[in-house]
Amino acid sequence: MDFHRVRWWTYATVIVVGLLVLAPFAWMVATALMSTTQTLQATPSVIPSPPTLQGVQEVFAKLPFLRLLGNTVVVSLGRALATLVIASLAAYALAIIKVPGARIILVLVLMLIMVPGDIFIIPSFSIMAKLHLTNTLVALVLPNVFDVFGVFLLYQFFRGVPRELIEAARIDGASHLRILFTIVVPISRGGLIALAILAVLNEWKELLWPIVVNNDVDQLTLGPGLALLRGTAVTDWNVLMSAGALATLPMIVIFLLLQRHFVSSFARSGLK
Amino acid sequence: MSTTTSLRVPDAPPVLRRGKRRRSRRGALTGYLFLVPLLFGLAVFRFYGFGYNVWLSFTKAGAFGPARFIGLDNYVALISDSQLGVALVNTFRFVVVAVPAVVIVSLLCATLMQHRFRGESVFRAILFLPAVCLPTAIIFVFGWLFQTQYGLVNATIRSIGASPVSWLGSTTGVTVVVTLIVLYLSFSVPTIILYAGMQDIPTEFYEAATLDGAGPVRRFFKITLPLLGPSLFFVVLTTTISVLKLFDVVYLLLPPEQSTSVNFGMTVLYYYYQLAFVGIGQRGYAAAVSLVLFVLILVVSLVFFRLQRRFVHYGEDG
Repeated sequence: MDFHRVRWWTYATVIVVGLLVLAPFAWMVATALMSTTQTLQATPSVIPSPPTLQGVQEVFAKLPFLRLLGNTVVVSLGRALATLVIASLAAYALAIIKVPGARIILVLVLMLIMVPGDIFIIPSFSIMAKLHLTNTLVALVLPNVFDVFGVFLLYQFFRGVPRELIEAARIDGASHLRILFTIVVPISRGGLIALAILAVLNEWKELLWPIVVNNDVDQLTLGPGLALLRGTAVTDWNVLMSAGALATLPMIVIFLLLQRHFVSSFARSGLK
Repeated sequence: MSTTTSLRVPDAPPVLRRGKRRRSRRGALTGYLFLVPLLFGLAVFRFYGFGYNVWLSFTKAGAFGPARFIGLDNYVALISDSQLGVALVNTFRFVVVAVPAVVIVSLLCATLMQHRFRGESVFRAILFLPAVCLPTAIIFVFGWLFQTQYGLVNATIRSIGASPVSWLGSTTGVTVVVTLIVLYLSFSVPTIILYAGMQDIPTEFYEAATLDGAGPVRRFFKITLPLLGPSLFFVVLTTTISVLKLFDVVYLLLPPEQSTSVNFGMTVLYYYYQLAFVGIGQRGYAAAVSLVLFVLILVVSLVFFRLQRRFVHYGEDG
């Protein structure tokens, strides 16, 4: 029996939802190709005529865009890598070595997942100031790489690694570090990829922390960097939309290339 | 894993077993070493950070100079702080409006994903686009769409003869725009979580219900929704917490300089940011405000878990 028979209204809803999701992107790209005067018409035209790259040029004039893009790549990859290393080591100790006290640490990890720690910006800021790390790329990621959710996620994956494989490798004289990298990590690849993607996506979402800890535009990523384009008195929307389109395009390409991994990492964020 | 077959556990001889015990003690040492980075980071950023924050909340501290202990003064000031009241009311309003919106839309999208139709994979890709894009860019697009003078939404309203709305000039307007943005930015992940939950529901339930004459709507409310319990609970809880912590949307939509309209959407975290990092900085007081938000989130989580025990059924024992 087919309970999800496709009727006409399924198609209708799918088309409406799809168009609604795409509409903001379309409007962003359309505005990006307009001149400033075109954006300031009493009756706005939807299609840029003639299309111009004036907005894009303005973006490069007003922002160190490539620098921001480079920073974004470095910071995202750095955050993902550091999160993976710290979480894998911890999860290995908890799930595979099962150190004495592992249960207590695990309870602590679960508790910290539930407790919102990221709202305490002032302490993190003064720690960074004491370490003389404000206005550096390191400051953007350092407080966020000790990811308790990631530890728990990898813990669940590592627990699924067959015990015999570990024992056999131990008897062959392999060190724990070697076992982690040659046996546990390859088997738990799915979990690690999911965690890496979640770390990158979370970095893209950061705004409050970056604008607090770094006020030098050269040390920012695209999200907070673009925020600087918003004018205090007048906003050139074509410039803003050009910047948005330029920043979003690479992300969409990455998503489309790795779509399968993205979707499964979303599903994994469900803590199951 | 081609190595699985070649690696087998041999019966350990007595000598080896003694070695194994020594190894396991060494293993514990290695294990603690492996835990050092995590525990050190948590000790610094979570525990010391929290303690420092609590201490600050009992002091008068600015952006510069040492903090001075003032006892409970900050907490007394909280009670009569009308600005905090505004921020709390706004935050609650966003939760009450935006969370149901996110849940309903992601339920709808998850239901659509269950259907097999042409262009299904394209539809899925589109559904996930908002979750992988730069929120700043998305928030700005919505700000532009709802711009009073030149925005597309008001142009449409004008073209049908109605009078344009000052979207960021009223509580209702701001609530509408903020809700749409929150919805747009955060329905994708709940959709996939609910979809996964729907896949777990045994088809026999649907078969039995259909035989009893239940239509699709009835099946949704009598089977899908109740059996979706755990996923639904998770989605509602995480969405609620993220809206309680809302900052980026209101900050980018209503910049601090536009003091007239900021109050229509100022959230607790935004107020905290302003107190601590704009102007002279009232960090001691801001620390107290952040603890209010902290307690609020904890209480909401605990209430949800209590409700979950009563209403959410896991597996067959439900």
